[in-house]
Amino acid sequence: MPTGSPSRGSLDTFIASAPTLQRAGMRALVALARRPRGATLLGRVPAAEQLAQVVTSLARYDDPELSRTLGWDGAAVVARGRALRRAEGRP
Amino acid sequence: MPADGRCDAPRDGHERPRDAIDHPAGTTVSIRDSAHISAEVCVIGAGAGGAVAAAELAEGGMDVVVLEEGHWHDPDTFTARPPEMLAQLYRDGSQTITLGNPPILLPLGRGLGGTTLINSGTCFRTPARVLEHWQREFGLDVSEESLRPCFERVEEALSVGEVTPELAGANAEVARRGAAHLGWSHGYLRRNARGCVGSGVCAFGCPTSAKQHTGITYIPRAERAGARIVTGARVERVLLENGAASSLARANGVPVARGVQARMASGARVQVRAPIVIVAAGTIHTPLLLARSDLGAQSGQLGQNLSLHPATAVFARMEEIVDMAHGVPQSFYVDEFAGEGIIFEGVAGPPAYAAMSLPLTGARHAEAMADYRRLAQFGVMVSDSSRGSVQALAGRPLIRYDLTDADLRRFRTGLARMRELFEAAGAREVYLPLPDGVSPERARLRDLKLMAFHPLGTARADARPAHGVIDGELQVHGVRGVYVADGSAVPSSLGVNPQMTIMALATRLAFGLLGREVEGSQINEEAACHS
Ligand SMILES: Cc1cc2nc3c(=O)[nH]c(=O)nc-3n(C[C@H](O)[C@H](O)[C@H](O)COP(=O)(O)OP(=O)(O)OC[C@H]3O[C@@H](n4cnc5c(N)ncnc54)[C@H](O)[C@@H]3O)c2cc1C
Ligand code: SF4
Repeated sequence: MPTGSPSRGSLDTFIASAPTLQRAGMRALVALARRPRGATLLGRVPAAEQLAQVVTSLARYDDPELSRTLGWDGAAVVARGRALRRAEGRP
Repeated sequence: MPADGRCDAPRDGHERPRDAIDHPAGTTVSIRDSAHISAEVCVIGAGAGGAVAAAELAEGGMDVVVLEEGHWHDPDTFTARPPEMLAQLYRDGSQTITLGNPPILLPLGRGLGGTTLINSGTCFRTPARVLEHWQREFGLDVSEESLRPCFERVEEALSVGEVTPELAGANAEVARRGAAHLGWSHGYLRRNARGCVGSGVCAFGCPTSAKQHTGITYIPRAERAGARIVTGARVERVLLENGAASSLARANGVPVARGVQARMASGARVQVRAPIVIVAAGTIHTPLLLARSDLGAQSGQLGQNLSLHPATAVFARMEEIVDMAHGVPQSFYVDEFAGEGIIFEGVAGPPAYAAMSLPLTGARHAEAMADYRRLAQFGVMVSDSSRGSVQALAGRPLIRYDLTDADLRRFRTGLARMRELFEAAGAREVYLPLPDGVSPERARLRDLKLMAFHPLGTARADARPAHGVIDGELQVHGVRGVYVADGSAVPSSLGVNPQMTIMALATRLAFGLLGREVEGSQINEEAACHS
């Protein structure tokens, strides 16, 4: 089982950028998913559970430490990209 | 130099006005107060269509102003972290959704480059059969031969070339192995990339600036040729001489473009006076802008005929390490079933992206994600017969789209064949985007989890005024000087990714306005491969 904890900052930024309706829906789903009883409830409505899964896992697996254990080092990718960009004089 | 708008000196790196252009070419046009600008051409939107039209016209000697609602996205701010990048680079955080059965997520870009900034870079010319259909069905004077110079020109400008197997990565290799085993037609995709290192985050902002999106290609060209580019400027209306189109039409006059009215993010108002207006706000926003301007509604087709290329994706757990985000995410295709309207194309991304699209929940999701390094993913895209519509509701787009039974059948077939493909490639497990216990053959509309990336058709071209919003030259029927050069002009589903088609049509329009033949490229196609 992965151990990363959801990265609240990036999740909040993501949710805040959505239109009002989706924003409210996502906030409600995330709040439910974070409570044990809420999670059980969600389990009874597969579509809602799937949606909550989308939002919470987007944040959970955004955790750089967890990503690295899965073979993905985003910071290294970005650093390499920036270095190449500079070296080759790209915008 | 605009009459009242301010043209500042190149930025010094300290102050960054919000309502301004601030991009690699280095010039800043900042508009802090209300302004009046005069130009020969005003282009609305700096995406696939708008940027191309602006650059070609400016280089052809016309005085061009581009108004773009979004901003320049500095690659130094790209973090390769999906939640942040979805919020930063996409309109509404990528949460544009269609209403219908089933609902479909329809992400759109916003800023210099428009959706090309966050697209996968796949480049297809318009298929010949589609052009023939346009000639027959819509009376358009387009053919492979007549568009060839346009495509050559765009491909040269964007360094389009075929992805190499090394850059394509192991995710593509899984699909290649499966397709080869089954004897299905397949190949490596052509893309607009230069110096690509296969970092796997095309949809989250290319940190290498390898992807040749229009924000770093055509927009700087436009500016070097003297175009003024204003970001943070949302165009509210296209203006006509002597008032609204409907009243003029009633008076038997032919309305003529006068310019546009826009509002800056700061609230400042901008008026551009220009006898030629090119609307390129994208398939979802162009019909709303035309409707707000009382333009293009006569045929009853404005906002109608929306096609999307709905798509879904299948995961597989392989024996080997795949590391799906190591390599070009969309580098390979399988077109064995293209004749049935089904095409398979690569998709992939970092763990956060995979986690949100993996169609599992709870412990099964966590268990599969723990084996992320062995996950492969591929997309199923349908050339749709379904058609939707877009209209404004409280100033925002309300997009309706229901999948037809024919398209549902295409998804059933596509999903079954994708499973076959992964099994032929040696998958240990295949994860279909369907509820537990539902087989592809029995999938219902509500079982499908769809996304779409290619909205088209809402201001479609048709030579006949009663059937289309714009004519074969992309000019709005019944009006002089207002043109459309974006996905909304494309009259039917293409069956292939649309950016090249949109850019080729924009090129054709620009040269038409310049009164010149399009100069194609002399470049050797092989030499164009930089990926
Ligand atoms: C994730 C993703 C991947 C994709 N991958 C591919 C691919 O690999 N190959 C391919 O061919 N296609 C791909 N596409 C589709 C392709 O990028 C689009 O079809 C294309 O960019 C559309 O061009 P456009 O000119 O119609 O609109 P856009 O490129 O979206 O540009 C429209 C611009 O207009 C601006 N605008 C809107 N309203 C206003 C207003 N009122 N005032 C001022 N400005 C306004 C917007 O902010 C935007 O910048 C992909 C799309 C997505 C979302
Ligand atoms: S795969 Fe290539 S084009 Fe895509 S983000 Fe990485 S370097 Fe850029």
